[in-house]
Amino acid sequence: MEEIVFGIGITALAGALATIAGAAEDTESDIGSQGDPNSQVQLAPQMGYIHRIFNKAIAGEPPAYGLWVALGAGLAWAFMAMQMNPILAIVLGSALAVFVQGVYATTAYLGRTASLAKFEQPVYIDILKSMTTVTMAHAFIAIFATVAMCHLIISALGHPFPLPLLGLVWGIALGAAGSATGNPFYGKERQYQEQKFGAGVPISASGNIVRYAEAGERNSLDNGFFSAKLGGPASGICFGLIVFFELWRTVVFEPLAAGWGAIIIGVIVILIFAVIDRYIEVWARNTFGPYAVPEVPEVPEEASS
Amino acid sequence: MSALGGPAQTAGFQPPTGMGIAVSIILIIVALALAFFLIQMAGLLALVGIVIGGVLIGFGVHFVPVGGAPAAMGQAPGIATGVAMLAAGAGLAGLFGGAWAAPLGFPLALAGGAIGGGLLMAITCTMVNVIYIFGMGIPSASGKVDKDPITGDTFPEFKSQGTEGHGLPFISWVGGVIGGALGGLGGTLIYLELLEVYQAQVLVSASIAVSLAGVFAIGMFLMNAVLAAYNITGTIEGPHDPKFKRFPRAIIASATASAVAGIFAIALFEVLMVFIESNLMGAL
Repeated sequence: MEEIVFGIGITALAGALATIAGAAEDTESDIGSQGDPNSQVQLAPQMGYIHRIFNKAIAGEPPAYGLWVALGAGLAWAFMAMQMNPILAIVLGSALAVFVQGVYATTAYLGRTASLAKFEQPVYIDILKSMTTVTMAHAFIAIFATVAMCHLIISALGHPFPLPLLGLVWGIALGAAGSATGNPFYGKERQYQEQKFGAGVPISASGNIVRYAEAGERNSLDNGFFSAKLGGPASGICFGLIVFFELWRTVVFEPLAAGWGAIIIGVIVILIFAVIDRYIEVWARNTFGPYAVPEVPEVPEEASS
Repeated sequence: MSALGGPAQTAGFQPPTGMGIAVSIILIIVALALAFFLIQMAGLLALVGIVIGGVLIGFGVHFVPVGGAPAAMGQAPGIATGVAMLAAGAGLAGLFGGAWAAPLGFPLALAGGAIGGGLLMAITCTMVNVIYIFGMGIPSASGKVDKDPITGDTFPEFKSQGTEGHGLPFISWVGGVIGGALGGLGGTLIYLELLEVYQAQVLVSASIAVSLAGVFAIGMFLMNAVLAAYNITGTIEGPHDPKFKRFPRAIIASATASAVAGIFAIALFEVLMVFIESNLMGAL
C-alpha cells in the first residue's frame, strides 16, 4: 500500500513537471517561430512584408527537443556516474544542453534570415541579442523539467531505460505534444490576428502576417507574451495529461488482473477522451453554427455595408 | 507528367512498381537467410518479428491526421505538425509503456505499447480540438469528404471561406488513435525481438541489452515513420483521405527497410566478435 501511495505521489510530481515543460516548450518555440507557422514568417518578406520576427526553424520541434533533452539527460547521467548530487547534475546537464540550443538558435536565425537578403529582409542584431536569451531561458525550463521527470521515472518508479534514452523518448513526445497543440494558436490567432476570429485564414492571405504592435514594430517577445496566455498552458496540460495517465495507469492498476488492469484502464481513459472530443465537437457545431447558408448571399451584404 | 518527366502523380492510389516488389522480395529473402545463418531459428524468428513491427509502424503512420503548416493557419484539417514527428512521438510513448511492461510477458508488453501510443494520440487530438474550438472559435470540417463516415456530420457548411477545412473531425480523431496504437505496437514488437536476441549474448549485461534494443527500436521507428511520410507527401486527414489508399507501397518499403536494418541490428555482436578476433590475431 505504501509503495502505491509513493508511486501516486511520484506520478503527480512527474505530471506537474511535464505540465511546466509543455508550457515552456510551446512558449519557447513560438518566440523562435519554430513550429509550422515558421513558413509564414519565412514567406512574408517574399511577399513584400518585412518584419522583426525571430525565426529559428531549421528542425521540427520533436527532433530538436529530442536532441536537447537527450543531451541534458546524457550529461546529467554522466555527472551522476561521477557521484554528483542528482539535482545538481540535472541542473548542470540542462544548462549545458541550453548552450547547444543557444548556438542552434543563433545560427538558425542568421541562416534563415540571410537567405531572404534578395527580398531586402535585414538581419537585426538587436533581435538576435534580445530573443536568443529569452528562448534559452524557456528552453532551460523545458529541458530541466523533462530531465527531472525522466530521472524520477527511472529512480523512483523503476523504468528499465537509461536516462539518455528516456530523455530522447520523452523529448520527442514533448515536441510532438507542444507543436500539435500550440502551433494553431500561434499561427492563426497571433500571426493572423487581423483576420476574422472564428474562421480559418484564407489561402489568399498567406504571408500577410501582423507586423505592427501597440507601439512600434511587433517582435517575438510580444508573441511569447501572447502564447503564454493559452497556447503554452494548453500544450502544458496536453503533455502533463499524457505523462500523468501513462504513469498512473501503470503504477496503480498494473497489480490488478495480472497486469491487464493497466491495459483496461488505458482503454477506458481513451474512451473517456473520445466522449470529451465528440462532446466539444458537437458543442462547437451547435454554438457557432454553419458559416453560410446557401440561400442567403452574405458576402455582397457585407461589401455594401 | 511532372517537370522532371516522371510518371503522373495522382492523389489517390499509387501502386508499387513490379521492379520495386521484385527487389524488395530479394532483399527480404537475403536478410532472412543471413539471420538464419547467424543465429539459426531464433534469428529468423526475431527478424520476422522486426519486419512485422516495421510494417505495423509504416501502416499506422497513414492513419495519423497531419495538416502541417496549413493546419497551423486553420487552412486545412489535421494536426499542425509533421507526419513523421507526430507518429514518432506517439510510437515512442508506446515503446516507453511496452518496455516497462516487458517483464510481465509478451502479450502484455505489446498491449501496453499499443495503449501507450493510443493514449498519447487520444489526449493530443482532444487538446487540438480544444484549442481550435475554445481558443480560435473554429469548428471541425474535413476538406476531403462531405460527410463524416462515423458520425454522419456534414462538413461543407462548416468550412470557412478560402480554406480546405480545419480542426479534427471525429474520423480523424479515431484515425489518430488507431495510428498511435499501431505505432506503439510495432515499436514495442521490434524492441522485444531485439531484447531477446541481445539477452542471449553472453558478453552483454542486462542493462546494455535494454539500452541497445531501445536505441535500435527508436532508430527503426524513425526510419519507418519517415518512409511512410514520403509516401504520404505532405499532409493526410486520416483513413478517409484518398491518400490513405497508397499504403500498400509503404508496407512493402517498410518491410524491406526493416529487414535490412534488422539484420544489422541482429548481427551486431557477430560482426563485433569478428573484429575482436581479428584484432586479437593481429596482436598475437
